[in-house]
Amino acid sequence: MNGFSTPLFYIVAAVVIIPAVLMVSFRNLIYSAIAMIASFTGVAIVFITLNAELLAAAQLLIYVGAISILILFAIMLTKQRSGELRLFFHRQAWAALPAAVILAAVLGVVLGRGKYNYAPKPQNPTTAQLSRLLFNQYALPFELVSLVLLVAIAGAVLLAKREKRR
Amino acid sequence: MTPLQYYLALAAALFAVGAWGVVARRNIILVVMCLELMLNAVNIALVAFSNYSAIGPGRGEVFVFIVLAVAAAEVAVGLAIGIAMYRLRERLDVDELDDLKG
Repeated sequence: MNGFSTPLFYIVAAVVIIPAVLMVSFRNLIYSAIAMIASFTGVAIVFITLNAELLAAAQLLIYVGAISILILFAIMLTKQRSGELRLFFHRQAWAALPAAVILAAVLGVVLGRGKYNYAPKPQNPTTAQLSRLLFNQYALPFELVSLVLLVAIAGAVLLAKREKRR
Repeated sequence: MTPLQYYLALAAALFAVGAWGVVARRNIILVVMCLELMLNAVNIALVAFSNYSAIGPGRGEVFVFIVLAVAAAEVAVGLAIGIAMYRLRERLDVDELDDLKG
């Protein structure tokens, strides 16, 4: 999607940021999860605007598909409380918002003032190019990630397993 | 077309929102969700750099694939810890986990 215009970018950015802010502020965790799904979908749209169609598909499959379902199951397996705001926010929450705003400002200034080596035209890697990179040059990290996933699955099963009554 | 800095600003804002949630909220499941948000912000920055950089196509996107897999592992373990914690004490508040405090 070359020549992606800036006004459209603002709309896409709003689709990412507004659900994220809502997600942190909702008291009901199910609402938060729905807002999180909206934000993840927005991130997939951002990937499409950056010529990363394969990643957008992976984002939809993994985040919107798998991880959201996992989180929804975790929410439904546990009992949620309702009530006053202080039950949902820490005591230090009043300081967290200004701290986050300062973090965003510092990151924005530092990233915005950097000198970047632009490509003459946007890079548009094909799936074949990506897979060649992933299975030739980056084959070792790829295999290591599979090991990490295996260990994580085993650990998650072990942690979440109900212990037998003694 | 949209400059690179716009995407970096979006990534910074999303990262800050995630950090806000991690620090401010008490529920461990929501903390895990906010961690996912921060990882997504990093992914946006990586894809943006990959799209605009001159070092050849797709280098940044390979990183994002690995981040995706690590994020999946992280959310699985994090939620399992949350479920185990709920079994143990019927609560999900991260600020009540102070058993090691003297």
